[in-house]
Amino acid sequence: MSTTNGNGRQERLLEVKDLTVGFPTRDGTVLGVDHLTLNVGSHERLGVVGESGSGKSVMGLAILGMVLPPGRIMGGSVRWRGEDVLDPGVANRVRGREIAMIFQDPMVSLNPLKTVGSQLRELLQRRVGLKGSAIRQRSLELLDMVGIANAGERLRAYAYELSGGMRQRVMIATALACEPTLVIADEPTTGLDVTIQDQILTLLHDLSTELGMSVLMITHDLGVVAQFCDRVQVMYAGRIVERAPINEMFADPQHPYSLGLLHSVPRADRDDGELTGIPGEPLDRAQFPPGCAFEPRCDEARDGCRDTPPPLLKIAERRWVACYNRPGEGSA
Amino acid sequence: MLRWLARRIIAAALVVFVVTSLVFVVTHVFTDPATVSLPLEASQEDRASRRAALGLDRPLSVQYWDFVSGLVVGDLGESFWQTQPASKLVFERLPATLKLVGGATAVTVLLAAPMGMLAAWWERRFADHAVLGFSMASISAPPFWIGYLLIIVFAVQLGWVPTFGSRGFVSLILPSFAIGLASAGRLAQMTRRGIVEELRKPYAVTALSRGFSRSYTIVHHTFRNVASGFVTMTGWELTRMFTGYTVVIEVVFAWPGVGRLAIHAIENRDLILVQAAVVVLATLVVVTNLLVDIARRMIDPRVELA
Repeated sequence: MSTTNGNGRQERLLEVKDLTVGFPTRDGTVLGVDHLTLNVGSHERLGVVGESGSGKSVMGLAILGMVLPPGRIMGGSVRWRGEDVLDPGVANRVRGREIAMIFQDPMVSLNPLKTVGSQLRELLQRRVGLKGSAIRQRSLELLDMVGIANAGERLRAYAYELSGGMRQRVMIATALACEPTLVIADEPTTGLDVTIQDQILTLLHDLSTELGMSVLMITHDLGVVAQFCDRVQVMYAGRIVERAPINEMFADPQHPYSLGLLHSVPRADRDDGELTGIPGEPLDRAQFPPGCAFEPRCDEARDGCRDTPPPLLKIAERRWVACYNRPGEGSA
Repeated sequence: MLRWLARRIIAAALVVFVVTSLVFVVTHVFTDPATVSLPLEASQEDRASRRAALGLDRPLSVQYWDFVSGLVVGDLGESFWQTQPASKLVFERLPATLKLVGGATAVTVLLAAPMGMLAAWWERRFADHAVLGFSMASISAPPFWIGYLLIIVFAVQLGWVPTFGSRGFVSLILPSFAIGLASAGRLAQMTRRGIVEELRKPYAVTALSRGFSRSYTIVHHTFRNVASGFVTMTGWELTRMFTGYTVVIEVVFAWPGVGRLAIHAIENRDLILVQAAVVVLATLVVVTNLLVDIARRMIDPRVELA
């Protein structure tokens, strides 16, 4: 399966525009993802960073047209190579085959009652169309690719018989089974030991380079973003507040929330940020003000922030910010 | 696995031993077969001679030893109503009861699994409500009433099947449904709830995200995780069948099984025969539980080998 037309130019693979996911609650509909816009090009590693409850995981599934009940996609579009992924027919073709997801917590994300081998087998049989001995051969190859020794023996193992890192490697192998062009990794290292985290990230990084896959890395961990991604989007309360190439984000964050996030990472030359310590948010999304969602926690908030959410505007080449205090190009 | 199995079998045998001992206590300590077999107005002399004739005047320990050693070789005493060995009478009737329970279990499983899956597939839609309605109705209605209803409709009105007796497969249908419908209702609800819960679990989300259809995910991923509970519940339903439903339904359908034999034994004040029937039914319950344990171990490798 070819991934790009190898002339070095980035091809646009995934285009998400104004994607909005709502969850009905007693206080009205809460938007888990609010007018989300993002693009992933070929051979690109894009990070989406935000704190728990910012809508990152909802976003990951929604890109595949999946929302856990009672939520539903309320608007926007997801296009994969120009095709509408929200169309069930297209989704069926794209899911797993073109876009594969890797989930947090591989203990519960692998079927506890199926062996590693049978979980790979059903994918290779039903989604790839392999038959007979080719299935076993490809299964061994996949386990080998993700760095699992004794692959033949591991095929007979159940998830509970494997260590956390090993399970995540199996999860990655099942994602690679259909040779996807894009992998969405939803907190793939959360809950793993620090040394294992590093191994898994390195593995994903190497695989994406070798196989020419793009990766959409969803994480709360700026360290992961710094180590892994080319470009990053900061998410707050379901909206993208800033988008920048990785170096620029760390050198010169623009949105007050991005600033806060960077300040909250323990660094020798700075004191700890106070922002992540504010309790009660952002789970209380129903009570958010009509204006900028970050306004109640923002140092720079002023009257103009309270009416409508600020649009994501371009402030420089490849840099976008949604903040009234950082006017974009062309605006007053 | 083999050592585990051996331990389970020994444990099951112990349970059978304890249960049968309890049966002995009820039939020999609280009362005795001679007293029960005689009319209330029988004289003390009549009782004494009957007790002596049956060996009930010996010390309890001796009688108990007799009972236990008889048990080991399958001797459950002599029925004085039929003047035949009680075990022979019970074992003659056993195949009919096993057939009935087998039929009822087939009805239970073959209705409950698909209905549970359908209800989960159409969660909160018409099919879900329909299955819930069926479950409520079948659970609320007493099996003997369902039995009579089935007889009236299918045997009397439509004449499709015989009203009673056990003549071949056809006559098995109505009593199997009479017993199995309530069990199917309970199990269908359990299956539905299990699958709905499992469908929200991360492994099911993973399967869906890999492009497997919802029906494939239900049948091949979630049902497997519900199966262990399904088997356990089926075991409980079997227990209920052996200890209650078959007795009632065998009477309703004049089915020549152990349950109806027990009722006749009670009517004829034949405590030895009642005791034999209870011992055999209790053993079947214990065996059922053993089979359930083995099945669960085969479905879920995480089940402790304790």
